[in-house]
Amino acid sequence: MFKHILLPTDGSELSEKAIQEGIRLAQSLGAKVTGLCIMPEKHPFFYETEIPAEALEQIAKQTKEAGKAYLSVIEKKAREAGLACEVVYEVTDYVYEAIIRVADRMGCDLIMMASHGRRGVKAFIIGSETQKVLTHSKIPVLVFR
Amino acid sequence: MFKHILLPTDGSVLSEGAIRKGVHLAKSMKAKITGISVMPEQKYYLYQTDIIVQVKEETVKQHRMQVNRNLAFIEKAAKEAGVPCETFCDSCDYPYEAIIRVAEKRACDLIMMASHGQRGIKGLLLGSETQKVLTHSKIPVLVVR
Repeated sequence: MFKHILLPTDGSELSEKAIQEGIRLAQSLGAKVTGLCIMPEKHPFFYETEIPAEALEQIAKQTKEAGKAYLSVIEKKAREAGLACEVVYEVTDYVYEAIIRVADRMGCDLIMMASHGRRGVKAFIIGSETQKVLTHSKIPVLVFR
Repeated sequence: MFKHILLPTDGSVLSEGAIRKGVHLAKSMKAKITGISVMPEQKYYLYQTDIIVQVKEETVKQHRMQVNRNLAFIEKAAKEAGVPCETFCDSCDYPYEAIIRVAEKRACDLIMMASHGQRGIKGLLLGSETQKVLTHSKIPVLVVR
């Protein structure tokens, strides 16, 4: 039924669990997967102008490395499961918008994500980005606990 | 991957769309489905003593007919697709509680429901019962638009 599942990740333990389940689902449906990692554009330090440019570059570089590492988890798991897999790395401060945009651009027919991400369950009953994706997505969203 | 999908219905057009997709998904994964429709208990009648007993009986009868129609829709869709199906009617003033209770009792491994139900999209970005199921369910929830 579903042919192409989008697996957004923020590298958190909960999103890794959703990835694992997403791979299993794709396997049972013969679907392909697209992994997506979105990293923040502006580091809070950006407003502190005395921070040297090299430091900012260093931060951007480390952010990118971390993002690529999160995506390689998806690639590895997809390869082990024998699934077709692509990965997308995006830099933006508007995470849910990017998730919906990439799902649309890649032609995904399901978005699968954890109920919570990096910020965990502290104070939130359902994760804020998951909530926003649920609110704005036109395609089905599968929420994992 | 999923073996047993719970399909809640309130008889709305949107929930019928979710049922069709749910039956399709169950078929492609060789899963079985359980349909549930929740009838209001209407405990509030207890406080309105001037309401004639006959009116209450009539309302309950109407609700029961509606619930039976809702469940018949699921049974028909499942039968046409050749998917094993059971249906339940539950009485509860809080539909989300009944949905989660039945999902646990029947050992469902996925709840699939529409983003909105009977009350439609007026004023709400995500339907209130769907929101509550998402908040309280321990098992994955697939939200369909």
